[in-house]
Amino acid sequence: MESQRSEVVREAGAGRNHRAALARFLAAASGAAKVDVSGLAPLRGGAIQENWAVDARFFGGLLTGDQRLVLRTAAPTGVAASLSRNEEFAVLKAAFAAGVTVPEPLFASEDPAVFGKAFFVMRRVDGTAAAHRITRDPLLDPSLPAIAGRLGRELARIHTIRPPRSGLAFLPSYEQVGPAQQIAGFRAYLDRHPVPRPVLEWGIRWLETHLPPPVEPVLCHHDYRTGNYMLDGANLTGILDWEFAGWGDPHEDIGWFCCKGWRFARLDREAGGIADRAPFYRGYERESGRMVGRERVFFWEVLASVRWAIIALQQSDRYLIGGERNLDLALTGRRATECELEILMLLDPDGAPSDA
Amino acid sequence: MRDLPTGPSLLALAREVLLSDLLPLLPEQHRLEVRLVANSMAIAEREAVLGTGPANQLLRELETMYGEAEGEPEVLSRFARDLRAGVFESSAPHDRAVRAILWRLTIFKLRQANPRFLAANSFN
Repeated sequence: MESQRSEVVREAGAGRNHRAALARFLAAASGAAKVDVSGLAPLRGGAIQENWAVDARFFGGLLTGDQRLVLRTAAPTGVAASLSRNEEFAVLKAAFAAGVTVPEPLFASEDPAVFGKAFFVMRRVDGTAAAHRITRDPLLDPSLPAIAGRLGRELARIHTIRPPRSGLAFLPSYEQVGPAQQIAGFRAYLDRHPVPRPVLEWGIRWLETHLPPPVEPVLCHHDYRTGNYMLDGANLTGILDWEFAGWGDPHEDIGWFCCKGWRFARLDREAGGIADRAPFYRGYERESGRMVGRERVFFWEVLASVRWAIIALQQSDRYLIGGERNLDLALTGRRATECELEILMLLDPDGAPSDA
Repeated sequence: MRDLPTGPSLLALAREVLLSDLLPLLPEQHRLEVRLVANSMAIAEREAVLGTGPANQLLRELETMYGEAEGEPEVLSRFARDLRAGVFESSAPHDRAVRAILWRLTIFKLRQANPRFLAANSFN
């Protein structure tokens, strides 16, 4: 759940070793006579994926001239559920072709001789994805309902991509990743987790007994939320981070976008911390021609809180079990209890006892 | 018996020094990490202040509900297993009692981990 950030944080020595090989790759892929890579530096973020800013001059070929690009590759500790870079590249191409606002995907390589590991290259888009900034910025406030509407329309465009798609044959079928299978996955994780989580068990039991009827699957982003889109001022410049994409219920993405875990500084703004649900839903319904099913969204919103909690625990496992010395990851595990509070708030009509 | 100042008050002071005196001296790219350090210290401080009394009380309630003393890991694991199986759903009084325990457990944990989140959700 990391993204193409705009801020270059440091020049890396390791990067210099890759410049020549990358320049040769870009020249061959674009049909240029020559490519000069003048800048190669990691971008902030990237707990799961690494993003590198690439500044390059192309002499001839498809991209002739100066280009600002991003190279995306796996961080040292990957997450099992995420797509490979080649697969993410294929999903990004499908989204681009469907008219979704994404950084244009350009080239992919699985040759470790170029950058040490598989990667793909896309155009670099301007703006910020910083969720706390977006949800706090008073200057952005008047534009946020319109941005929510635009995000609803973008999501509807993503959901126009439906199986079967030969270029996306690697994605598991909806039957393999539907809600019942996700519930089984949550329980399998909790069975391995050293500390019992009664609230999660209670919430998962509710999910199990309230499964919605099956639906025609669509391509879901599966991490569509504030923090994973870029805004340049009030202009949406790109939907990012497609590594969890897969077939699913369209309401899954809507529930994830609206769940409390992704509202950042504005818990009261139920659409991603930026607006009420109304403009987001309206944008989605106008673009798709389909009504948003409120009950289905509620189910997926409860599931989103459970999923968020499990992800939080898995992040802290990277410290607790994997030995990764990262305070941010270690602290993320504590956020699971925030999701548990939300599960209780959503599902218990009686509310908290007065002596709690 | 421990000497003064207490561990929690030392943590509080150390956190204040970190955020007020040291943080402004650091370049921007290290400030997030320092805030995470301060947050970790605040959690440790709150855990020390709140102690284990409320958690022990919840465990005693569970043991009373089950009618036997099992100890923390066992009774919590049993509770989690029973919730998964829906054991309490057929009895309205049990169901209410269970939900009350879940609320108290969650609110207690958040008082330690993130009281601001509790306040933002209108809990004291």
